[in-house]
Amino acid sequence: MAFKGALMLSEQDNVATSLEEIAGGADVDIQLGDKLSNVVALEQIPFGFKIAVADIAKDAHVIKYGESIGVASEDIKAGNLVHIHNLGGARGRGDLAKGGAQ
Amino acid sequence: MKFLGYQRPDGSVGIRNYVLVIPGGLVGSKICDFVEGTKTITVASDAYFDHTSRDRETVGRTLIGLGRSPNVAAVIIDTSINGAGYPEYTAAHLFEEISKSGKRVELLNAIKEGGTLASISKGIQLAREMVHDASKLRRQPFDLSHLVLAVKCGASDTTSGIAGNPVIGNLFDRVIGAGGTALFGENTEIVGAEQVLAKRAVNERVANDILQVAHDIEEVAKSTGEDIRTMNPIPANIAGGISTLEEKSLGAICKSGSAPIQGVLKYGERPAGQGLYFFDNNPAMGIYFGYAASGAQLLLFQLGGGGYGRTDADMLLTPGPGVIAPLLWATANPRTLARSSTSIDFYSGTVLEGEDSIESAGEKLLQQVVDIASGTFTKVESIKQQEPSQMYLRDPIF
Repeated sequence: MAFKGALMLSEQDNVATSLEEIAGGADVDIQLGDKLSNVVALEQIPFGFKIAVADIAKDAHVIKYGESIGVASEDIKAGNLVHIHNLGGARGRGDLAKGGAQ
Repeated sequence: MKFLGYQRPDGSVGIRNYVLVIPGGLVGSKICDFVEGTKTITVASDAYFDHTSRDRETVGRTLIGLGRSPNVAAVIIDTSINGAGYPEYTAAHLFEEISKSGKRVELLNAIKEGGTLASISKGIQLAREMVHDASKLRRQPFDLSHLVLAVKCGASDTTSGIAGNPVIGNLFDRVIGAGGTALFGENTEIVGAEQVLAKRAVNERVANDILQVAHDIEEVAKSTGEDIRTMNPIPANIAGGISTLEEKSLGAICKSGSAPIQGVLKYGERPAGQGLYFFDNNPAMGIYFGYAASGAQLLLFQLGGGGYGRTDADMLLTPGPGVIAPLLWATANPRTLARSSTSIDFYSGTVLEGEDSIESAGEKLLQQVVDIASGTFTKVESIKQQEPSQMYLRDPIF
């Protein structure tokens, strides 16, 4: 992999991890193995953060490593930053559990 | 490929050659202040009191495991541990179990010696003798099947999941491929990834054990009534780009490589055979103490660090949580490397920079592991700092 663009780890993924500081409006190279595709960043994506490579509807799973890393808490467009503001965990949610402390 | 190690009477091979004083406390620390080549443990003064039976078993297993470690040439047991009276770790029991390894074990009895100070004096003489004897041992070549490695990751960021941990995983695959053994753990950090690990279990029982570990810790987390994201991933992980526990876990398990999982080990339990094992422990630094007690000779810490402050001042990393097993620090984050260059042994950010593949970086890391196993110090190994060691105890103190 080159130290450029963003990296997808599996074909099923709908996010990629940025390998550089990506400015809003930049045309981003998305690497998946030997395959390259492109997504226009809709906002700044810091090094190591995730960019959506497809539209993700609210309540749909966000996929990285080919597995669910949680659920979209709002509609996400390809090119958006994906982080805690629009992605919630589905595991260990004591705050949602029945009988949990309020 | 071979490393140079110390043959022990039980057939195991050490990569270091220490005299160990247990169970810690004043006598142990004074002996170690005075005598080169010795190690002791530092635990809270009430660490041996008022535990449930499963926690007492852990304490006993850990002390015995440390004494039997291949990195230890000989052991002094301070019999003041008898003060607690629990059968799981009387001095006589520790003596009997550690002696099975065939190494020299001596009891140091303060009452018989005429008090604490006299006991320290006797201990110093004993330790000097043992260290002198140990120094006569010569390193010999052994193949990698004698190696037991163990890893924890920490301050994870997204470089951990895409480069740092996969390179450790590649190292593990290489060592296991050569007949060696590797341990990984951290219960919370398999939640969201346990289904992936369970598929790699050697049989259904082991698969169920893995799923149970994740289930148990998730239930405890839920009982707090909090979103686990407020606890783990830690704020520094989130600042480094990790959004959820599932994401952190899926990146964390990459450090285990791709070998079949042979079993789930209790804290301080010795693996029954070679290969890859999951180690039942929370993500605390105390895992290293348990790894050493399980027979790991060399410990690895895969550091992310992206979420920590972006300063280039050189920050010294912790040297000795494994006490008798040296710690190798690795990172894939260029900023973390810049910030802790005098502590970090291995940099795998070359994978992100296109200079290495995960395979080629794994091969370089293996070469470094062999060098360290043969006697080269890890960067932090020259720092004389004894951190308090914390065993993985599950229950309240009663």
